[in-house]
Amino acid sequence: MRRLALVLLAVAAPLGAQAGGGSGGARARLTGRVPEVAIAPVDSVVRAAEADDLPTEPLVQKALEGAAKHAAPGQIVEAVAAHADQLRQARTLLSRAGGPPPTAAEITSVAAVMVRGLPPPLAERIVTALPNEPPGPALHAVADLAGHGFAEDAAVDLIVAAARVGLRGLRLLDVATAAVHELQRGATHDSALATVRRALPDVPSPPKPSPAQVNRARRPRPGA
Amino acid sequence: MNELDPRIHQVLDGELPLESLPPELRATVLRLERAAQLLRAGEAPASVAGRVLAELRRPRTATRGRRVLRWLTERHAITIALRPIWSLALTAVLAAVVLVPTHGTPPLLGAQEGIAQFVGHFPGARSVDVVGPFTAWRSGVIPLRDDDHDGVWSAVVVLPTGAHEYMFVVDGERWVADPLAGRYVSDGFGRQNALLIVRPVGR
Repeated sequence: MRRLALVLLAVAAPLGAQAGGGSGGARARLTGRVPEVAIAPVDSVVRAAEADDLPTEPLVQKALEGAAKHAAPGQIVEAVAAHADQLRQARTLLSRAGGPPPTAAEITSVAAVMVRGLPPPLAERIVTALPNEPPGPALHAVADLAGHGFAEDAAVDLIVAAARVGLRGLRLLDVATAAVHELQRGATHDSALATVRRALPDVPSPPKPSPAQVNRARRPRPGA
Repeated sequence: MNELDPRIHQVLDGELPLESLPPELRATVLRLERAAQLLRAGEAPASVAGRVLAELRRPRTATRGRRVLRWLTERHAITIALRPIWSLALTAVLAAVVLVPTHGTPPLLGAQEGIAQFVGHFPGARSVDVVGPFTAWRSGVIPLRDDDHDGVWSAVVVLPTGAHEYMFVVDGERWVADPLAGRYVSDGFGRQNALLIVRPVGR
């Protein structure tokens, strides 16, 4: 991947400097924020993703993130190219699971969970088992469980079981939270999963924000 | 109909004494007076139209609430006479109220929006910002506040529902992953971003 980034830097930077065009929206957003030498290679990755019908906003965001964190130009290009690969892998995974062509939001959310370290075969198993479910929450729920040391297969089984008894969307995250709470109360991983599974679909919801919190909330300024 | 003797009329009108009449006419006068007494004592049954009119004329004892409601729902001609200068001032005030956002106005949340609360303990910090894709990774867009100077910085923000990566930027230069986040992802630059999943407020 590092080699790819260097090749992109070497090839695309002079071309970009001459052309000054490309995917105008992305380039305009990168200019002044991302090191000049990285703009053309990043723009090249963004254009390739666009041509491949992949969402490009996460790629622009990754470049802006790298620049804000003062990453080296090569690192920025490498991270953007790696994220494009993750998006491509997420789209392939969703397509293999069947159903209508995946939306940009679905591709982005699946890629985001894979960045958390969820193995692609496991992600595919969940997506295939829950074809009518938005993939993001179910995958994050499994990643939450895996992140707390639960066996990945057992975690998938619990989340799929929860969806089959009627829990949907973000409520699947509450299933993972309930299992983690059992763990924190001293249960073993197996008994925590068993307890939550017996209780399904009754798992507690998180408290809603208070009216005072809602009143205090600010919106990020548009155009940020 | 039989015509009454004119003398009977005169007696009934008080122009002649009753004693001046012959006995047969005197009996007629007495019958007529008894009939008149009976009519005065009891009301004759009213007709349907009479009863309806009486009902309409009867004053109703409406409650205060009913009177207010009637006043609000009936038509009234209201005339407000204002000098043009006052009209302009009133218009300006209304425009200001509608157009100028006030700090205390609670945000109206869309169905796909939720509330995120960011809290961090940074004693001695001069500034703390939260950054992520929702600020295009720019500092200064969402500053956290520590009004009581106890080192606990916080901000409550409206964000779209779903997963958001973020970091804190302390004093404009130090990047810190939220230690309380519970979820982290590799950022591709050798660090970890915190991950927050925002739920819709209504659910």
